[in-house]
Amino acid sequence: MADKVLTANRLSDGISVWLDAAGNWNEHLQDAFVARHKEAVDALEATGRQAFADNKVVDVNVVDVEEIDGVLRPLRMRERIRAEGPSIAYAAGYSGLTATAAPAA
Amino acid sequence: MYRYDEFDHAFVSDRVEQFRDQVARRLSGELAEDAFKPLRLMNGVYLQLHAYMLRVAIPYGTLNGRQMRKLAYVARKYDRGYGHFTTRQNIQYNWPKLSELPDALADLATVEMHALQTSGNCIRNVTADHFAGAAADEVADPRPYAEILRQWSSVHPEFSFLPRKFKIAVTGAERDRAAIQVHDIGLHLKKNEKGEIGFAVYVGGGQGRTPMIAKKIRDFLPEQDLLSYTTAIMRVYNLHGRRDNKYKARIKILVHETGVEELSRQVEAEFAELRDTELKLPERDVAAISAYFAPPELGSRAEGWANLAQWKKADPEFARWVQNNVQPHKHPDYGMVTISLKPIGGIPGDATDTQMEAVADIAEEYAFDEIRVSHEQNLILPHVALADLEPVYRGLVAAGLATANAGLITDIIACPGLDYCALANARSIPVAQELSTRFGSPERQAEIGELKIKISGCINACGHHHVGHIGLLGVEKKGEELYQITLGGSGDENTSIGEIIGRGFEPEKVTDAVEVIVNTYLDLRLDPSEIFLDAYRRVGPQPFKDALYGDKTAAAA
Amino acid sequence: MTKIWNEAGFVTDDPWVIETEDAKAGSNEKAILGLDDFLAKVAEGDETGLGVLINPADDVRRLEGHLDRIALVAVAFPAFNDGRAFSHASLLRSRLTYAGEIRAVGDVLIDQIPLMLRCGIDSFAVSNETALKRLSENRLPGIENHYQPTARPSQDAGSYSWRRRA
Repeated sequence: MADKVLTANRLSDGISVWLDAAGNWNEHLQDAFVARHKEAVDALEATGRQAFADNKVVDVNVVDVEEIDGVLRPLRMRERIRAEGPSIAYAAGYSGLTATAAPAA
Repeated sequence: MYRYDEFDHAFVSDRVEQFRDQVARRLSGELAEDAFKPLRLMNGVYLQLHAYMLRVAIPYGTLNGRQMRKLAYVARKYDRGYGHFTTRQNIQYNWPKLSELPDALADLATVEMHALQTSGNCIRNVTADHFAGAAADEVADPRPYAEILRQWSSVHPEFSFLPRKFKIAVTGAERDRAAIQVHDIGLHLKKNEKGEIGFAVYVGGGQGRTPMIAKKIRDFLPEQDLLSYTTAIMRVYNLHGRRDNKYKARIKILVHETGVEELSRQVEAEFAELRDTELKLPERDVAAISAYFAPPELGSRAEGWANLAQWKKADPEFARWVQNNVQPHKHPDYGMVTISLKPIGGIPGDATDTQMEAVADIAEEYAFDEIRVSHEQNLILPHVALADLEPVYRGLVAAGLATANAGLITDIIACPGLDYCALANARSIPVAQELSTRFGSPERQAEIGELKIKISGCINACGHHHVGHIGLLGVEKKGEELYQITLGGSGDENTSIGEIIGRGFEPEKVTDAVEVIVNTYLDLRLDPSEIFLDAYRRVGPQPFKDALYGDKTAAAA
Repeated sequence: MTKIWNEAGFVTDDPWVIETEDAKAGSNEKAILGLDDFLAKVAEGDETGLGVLINPADDVRRLEGHLDRIALVAVAFPAFNDGRAFSHASLLRSRLTYAGEIRAVGDVLIDQIPLMLRCGIDSFAVSNETALKRLSENRLPGIENHYQPTARPSQDAGSYSWRRRA
């Protein structure tokens, strides 16, 4: 069984969150509680269902991760992007302001 | 452009308060997620990978400086300082908080904007030719009809819970710049022999999992029958569209499974009952709405010709921008300007709040305060005097909006993809960035000529890849991204769905594959005036398959 | 618990029962028949004041010619997002000119009731807690300005031909 973490999006602001060991919804994957046995996964799922019913979070899922040198890495790219943010530079200062410069070779 | 009257203001206000109540009930738990979801979707609120997403409607892609400034304000106040212009002429914000959305919508309402029906199983933003009202080849401006349809479809009680989303597009010239044949209903404005206005009506086009080209069910629908005929189509769809399978629920499937003749008979039968009801459009209403879209007073600015020639001579960069980004206007002293939101190596369709403000400034000063959003994710200033092109250009340069690539290979259409979208299987934006960088040199772009690359990060095809000259579809294979290439698609009046040419390419190989395709085209084209699409249609896929896959069997990915 | 509501308020002593395999109408109750059963019944006798259930896939036009025998048409919303009954109700009113009671049954939620009313539905079998509460407070979340004529007539807005007011 792969290691698992519980993830969701916060209802009020939609931000991706992961359940940490203290039972809080944390914005950082690296602080997530890792379930390594079936009983722990069952407990995670129950917690998730309760949090959804309590209107704290939406779109609750248990996702697979691996731990490499103490760093959690989701197995699915989708979940990696959820954890790390868009894989591109954005917002103020992005390369759009130098648009007419010659491109990098 | 259309201006709200009291009726419109009251409606939008009530709608904001209605949504505010719905959000409050959701946050308190009184309203559960499954009941809330269709309600929030009808207000353009999605849940994406990282956060909510708000899709604000820009009706038929038309807005003014004041509205653009408000979009910038919303980006600053409620989001992270930028927005994304979409392939349906709307704008999307990627980081709004649900709890703040009623306030954001209230702010938008002050400038006659909203997010109504930009999602959900209802009638969506009615899109139109982004050159409407300015193009020399226009039979009639499609926007008054888009506005009538927009109003009529707003909170339509019979059609708010359709089998699936419903998209209508209207175009006003023989050259179809609104891709009507890949819409659920496509309306092509025509004049009959008596000079009366009417529509050729197409039904059942669409992209996504099963791309289909719309079928014409009426050669000429008189103008006055627009609402009754549309009601007939919607009612037949509402009653008979499939509801058992989300991927077979669009009207294109109903047309396909019923057969166009039988479906047309059903529509005509329903229309016969509706034709002489209160849905008939009085001429005075059409005239009143059309009056809002009267072109601005375009005075003679003949000095522009000489000025333009001088500026072009003095500045080759400016000359290149004029050549690529300025199209002929029906008035000879004017041009239609494309503001490219595709900086080389940048994110297609995105603009910062600062850039939005810059566009508003330029539009107000030089462009009769009229801006358009094209379905190719660029902004348009439809009325600019040639004599004002140089100061417009300088303003755009300062804002990083002067990329001279309209319609060229780096003018890429890309959906947000897996970087943002919960539906995606693969990323689109980094692929677009790499392609843009690879082909970014002005000389290379000029050499290649018109070539529309469209990228979708999943089968839903929001990047419109099926109608790309080169289409890229990102899929997930064994946990990794893979890109399927299609060739020869087009969304114009000769609509064609791109053909898959072989197995897909890993992200690091896609750019090279596209380069092989481009080089193959350059080698086999008759001359530089034969654009990629025409060359492809002449020679077919084989030369490209051979170049990409050699002698190996090219099994589709 | 299911209650019946119309614009005059909650209805007590509503006699109508949708018959199923297990539940038949009792002595003081009236049966809402499935469409085929209804059509069989009108063929075999003279009974009037009947109730008929229109399911989403039914063709409501099959009621044509029998409307004078109907006291209640129930239109079903098995899922709140199955919008076919909006068209059934609209056709009943505007095409078949049916003037009796049209009742929404099934997954009836408060946010859809204003839309149902505009389509000509005039009574509602409501089980949802929030809907019951809001109805008892007479707080319907509708918008007064309408952009389209509907089966239920509404006031001319004195503006473009397609506009109406509640």
